[in-house]
Amino acid sequence: MVATLNTNNNQISATGNTAELEKIRDFVGAQAKLFGFGEIDAFQIALAVDEACSNLIRHSYHNDNNRQFIVSIEKNNSELIIQVMDNGDTFNPMSVPEPDMEEYFKKFKRGGLGVQIMRKVMDKIEYIPAQTSTALNVLSLTKRLV
Amino acid sequence: MSETKFTIEHQSIGEIKCLKIQGYLDAHTAPQLESALGNLVEEGKHKIIVNFSELDYISSAGLGVFMVYIEDVRETGGDIKLAEMKPKVFTVFDLLGFPMLFEIVENNQAAIAKFAN
Repeated sequence: MVATLNTNNNQISATGNTAELEKIRDFVGAQAKLFGFGEIDAFQIALAVDEACSNLIRHSYHNDNNRQFIVSIEKNNSELIIQVMDNGDTFNPMSVPEPDMEEYFKKFKRGGLGVQIMRKVMDKIEYIPAQTSTALNVLSLTKRLV
Repeated sequence: MSETKFTIEHQSIGEIKCLKIQGYLDAHTAPQLESALGNLVEEGKHKIIVNFSELDYISSAGLGVFMVYIEDVRETGGDIKLAEMKPKVFTVFDLLGFPMLFEIVENNQAAIAKFAN
């Protein structure tokens, strides 16, 4: 178990509390704008990261304030890569099947749309589960500036 | 702190109830809206307008709140109409096709007119 996760300038740490989501969105949105994305793109990138973190806080950290995770930003040519790193249970969001939205609305289904938002907004999503008990799971969300 | 980042103002327009929401609607604040809508539905108030004019953000947790009650209110001839959305908030609804299910209108007047028809 990692009690405190070290961060640098391109990272922030957050706890397993949904009150932290606003700070994460502010950080990601500001970084996306600095990188060159417009208002709507930056808004949606922050949204996709919010969805990833909301799922993590709820399903892996069970809203435990004492658990920490990191959101980091990498820039690679025209790509903005946001990584969410946690030490919770491994869970690959890409294993969630894409919902049929017509069916979803017809049956008034609930929940499960966060991953779909991530898919719609981001260009690439990769998940690398922790290989050892002290390593972190890494979810990478990439958006290209075109 | 975050407690002030989302507020709900209740208004009555005849038999129609309007919830004016303000701030950020995310996984942290969505339970507040779920509770407010749930109270209206329980009281038998099934004609509801949610006014988004001062809402700056919504995530899937916020979208999910509308899915909880839409079937119940429509079964009794009511509806939840969504009014005066900022363009960036509308993009979130649009990403997943929510305009297929929900009536999203320009303002409260348009929503009231839809209820009258």
